[in-house]
Amino acid sequence: MKQKLTSSVRIILLLALTEVGLAGQSYPGRPKIIRCRSLEKETFSCWWKPGSDGGLPTNYTLWYSKDSEEKIYECPDYRTSGPNSCYFDKNHTNPWTTYNITVMARNEIGCNSSDPQYVDVTSIVQPDAPMNLSLETKTSASIMNLWAKWSPPPLADVSSNSHVYHYELRLKPEEKEEWETIPVGVQTRYKVNRLQAGVKYVVQVRCMLDLGEWSEWSSKRCIQIPDGKSPPEKPTIIKCRSPEKETFTCWWQPGSDGGLPTNYTLLYSKEGEEQVYECPDYRNAGPNSCYFDKKHTSFWTIYNITVRATNEMGSNISDPHYVDVTYIVQPDPPVNVTLELKKSINRKPYLVLTWFPPPLADVRSGWLTLEYELRLKPEEGEEWETIFVGQQTQYKMFSLNPGKKYIVQIHCKPDHHGSWSEWSSEEYIQIPTDFRVKDMVVWIVVGVLSSLICLIMSWTMVLKGYRMIAFILPPVPGPKIKGIDTHLLETGKSEELLSALGCHGFPPTSDCEELLIEYLEVEDSEDQQLMPSHDNGHPSKNAKIIPKETDSDSGRGSCDSPSLLSEKCRESRTLPSTLQTQNVRDVQENKGGKRSWETQCIASEQKIVLFNDESTKLSTWPTAQLPDNQPPMFAYHNPVDAHKITLSTTNVNVARVLVGNEEKRQSQYPITETCHDDVEKQKGMENLYSKTDQTTVQVKQNRPNDKPPFLNPKLMDYVEVHKVRQDVEPAVLLKHKENSRKTKKYTVPGTSKEYTKVSTVVDHNILVLMPDSRIQHTSVSQEPAMETSQNLQQSQAEKNMSYCLTVPSKCKRENNGSEYMDPSSFMPSFK
Amino acid sequence: MALARAAGRAGASAGLALLWLLVCAPGDAGCRLLSVADLFDRVIRHSGRIHSLSTALYAELEKRFPPRDNELGKPARKCHTSGMLTPNGKEYAQKIPREELTHLILKLLQAWKEPLSHFNQHIEHHQELPDDSLSKAKQISNMVHELKTGVEKVTEKMQSMGIISNSLNGMASSEATGLSISNEANMMSDSDFIHCFRRDSNKVQSYLKILKCRIMPENSC
Repeated sequence: MKQKLTSSVRIILLLALTEVGLAGQSYPGRPKIIRCRSLEKETFSCWWKPGSDGGLPTNYTLWYSKDSEEKIYECPDYRTSGPNSCYFDKNHTNPWTTYNITVMARNEIGCNSSDPQYVDVTSIVQPDAPMNLSLETKTSASIMNLWAKWSPPPLADVSSNSHVYHYELRLKPEEKEEWETIPVGVQTRYKVNRLQAGVKYVVQVRCMLDLGEWSEWSSKRCIQIPDGKSPPEKPTIIKCRSPEKETFTCWWQPGSDGGLPTNYTLLYSKEGEEQVYECPDYRNAGPNSCYFDKKHTSFWTIYNITVRATNEMGSNISDPHYVDVTYIVQPDPPVNVTLELKKSINRKPYLVLTWFPPPLADVRSGWLTLEYELRLKPEEGEEWETIFVGQQTQYKMFSLNPGKKYIVQIHCKPDHHGSWSEWSSEEYIQIPTDFRVKDMVVWIVVGVLSSLICLIMSWTMVLKGYRMIAFILPPVPGPKIKGIDTHLLETGKSEELLSALGCHGFPPTSDCEELLIEYLEVEDSEDQQLMPSHDNGHPSKNAKIIPKETDSDSGRGSCDSPSLLSEKCRESRTLPSTLQTQNVRDVQENKGGKRSWETQCIASEQKIVLFNDESTKLSTWPTAQLPDNQPPMFAYHNPVDAHKITLSTTNVNVARVLVGNEEKRQSQYPITETCHDDVEKQKGMENLYSKTDQTTVQVKQNRPNDKPPFLNPKLMDYVEVHKVRQDVEPAVLLKHKENSRKTKKYTVPGTSKEYTKVSTVVDHNILVLMPDSRIQHTSVSQEPAMETSQNLQQSQAEKNMSYCLTVPSKCKRENNGSEYMDPSSFMPSFK
Repeated sequence: MALARAAGRAGASAGLALLWLLVCAPGDAGCRLLSVADLFDRVIRHSGRIHSLSTALYAELEKRFPPRDNELGKPARKCHTSGMLTPNGKEYAQKIPREELTHLILKLLQAWKEPLSHFNQHIEHHQELPDDSLSKAKQISNMVHELKTGVEKVTEKMQSMGIISNSLNGMASSEATGLSISNEANMMSDSDFIHCFRRDSNKVQSYLKILKCRIMPENSC
């Protein structure tokens, strides 16, 4: 255009020149700056329109000045932007400067300049239009898309290609006037949707920098959108399912429709039939499905099912699907699942699950039988526990962890065929904890209490162990005499006496035996002590003897309990009681040593003589004179008893007794100070044995008690009778074997005759004196060789007597007239 | 495999159960008088086991001899009992008279007695078949016998109690049809044969269930 203009101008000028040349020449006309424009903000160009050249060749010069300077420059580049233009490159372009531009035309005649043009670069930015626009159609998922691509506008300076353009695209069907303009952004491509198939579209793009103006629209491009009409792809039958074994439904997945509305047809044929039917109901089960109602559902036959997709262009048929309705039954999940927590008798909670078959399934007809399976897990658990339940519609669950929340689900399936239903919705149940905690609390309380009780018990046991033991294991009852008939004693009928004492029949009864077995060991030890030189056979017999002894003993002393005795002992603190207790202790304690006596004495707080010398006595005597078993017993008991008895008696009278220690005994009397008197007494008693002339009275007194059985053995042991005169004064000479030199006279007035009978003559010139009734006994006892049970018994009887004597009782009052008599009863009065 | 073993075990125990059923026929002294419901439960359970066994056997045969077109129910398959008119749906089975339904069950069982024993003899010569399959086939054959006897017992009992009429007797005698169609059975392939039997065993079970619930609707139906 410019060129045309210029060329036409030139023609005019030429014409003018020729005219001028003919008519006359003039100065050029005034040029005009048409526009200035920057493509990319870094360079700019200006174009001008020349005026008339005045018939002469004209030169055009562009001058410019900057607002910051006075200096005037000429255009740096007249060629880059074409004729009648000036190009300002990067070096001559300053975006923050306002340029004052003037164009001057000059010829031979004169010159003329244009009006000045003020140029601000940033305000004159306008890029060129994008280039290389191309169009393409693509089909994805049966939808047609148009893709447009282009490139940014070209720049003179190829190196500066870093500009960011924003693009706009416009399109319209070719035959229409209205453009549809779409902002694209900075991308150089765009996908156009919603195109009408079969229509020719015209597309243009333009661009813009972040400032300035939009470029021109690019050149038009046209594209024909294809029609896209094709036959549909073949559909796929997904599945067939019968929810209740009466009807069934099949679903299919359509392929692409080829861009055309497509119809789907389900066709089926039954096994053994040639005829093909169409789906009876497309709507009931939703889109792309076919519902076979009861009429159209047959069992035990195979359906051959296909789906055909059809559009204008053609049709396509799915692969056949073969279905035997019997085996495609998949029921709905069970409904109304309820969880209930119940308590059993032992208070343990258990879970009861109940549910109902799906409402569609007609289980009552027998046509469909459902089996159930349930699963549960703790809420936070990972793995389900699955339980097959069978046909029942309830289930009880035990052994659930208390305190946990469980999730339960149930599903069902027809028996023998078909498939499991979906799981029912999750049901939650919280298993309570408190049941167990309560139990735990109860158990803890019980445990603490019981341990407390145990602690207390053991504590008390430790503190009061002795008493407890005494309480649990009561002391053996001591011998006790109900009473002694003094008359019997006086008459000397010992058998009667014995019977009076309670021992009926001489062979002791067995129950007596049982009662006092503890004697056994006592005697044993004593025996061994007493008879170190004995045969082996003897101890055993001793052992035999002893229980019997004790029998008879206990047989008599069954009245009072040992505790009573001990109480008495404590209360009275009398000598007799002491003796008694000593006896009792003697019986109880197996040690048999005098030490035990001692301790017992102390224990009972009795201060009496301690017969420590006894052992020495006993040990010395037997060696000298005891040939058989009996003597040791006597030796054991009798001396003691004798001592005691005499003691008691001497207590009464012995004040007069001379305390002369004629006997030289090795034995020492360990005497406590408090017991001093007693020692003296004892000594006195010993004196009795040896020399008492004065003690006749005492002997008398003693005799009723026990002397007959008691003293005789003693006499047997160590008394030699030198003279016996029954009619006259009975005089017994007591002679210790050891101390044979001391011979004393034992005078027993009156009644003493019973004792003076000679039972046997032992050895040489030794007489054994026995009461009448007891002659046999003594004789027996004197036979060392003979050890018969009878002997033993008899000796025991004697022994018993001795015990009887020693045992104190309350019989004192009855002393005179009564049948019973307690030797010890004498003593308290003396106290 | 495990399924097959389980099925075998089930079959064995079922045989025992049915033996007891037979020994303890109603009227026997020293035997608890079994109710019709009990008898029904037993034959239903028995038919269920037969169905399980045949399913397992069918799976084994399919695995060993895959059908050429690899499709379930190819159109060529035609069971020798498909000529029998049997109810093919719930409502139909509920409408049909009890006597007729009973008769149908017996007829179906009868129709399989002979072909099954033939089948047993036939597959014994099959070298490829495992012993497990052979024993299954044998068991099926025996159990069908037992089931038929059991159903007859139930029928007798029902007739004696007047639950169904005696009109059945005339129909039951027409066993010639069974023989005629058994020839058809011999023409089938092994897997087709078992497929057909499996279907009919399921039919029998379903009819028995329907029958039971029709006669005793209160009894767990």
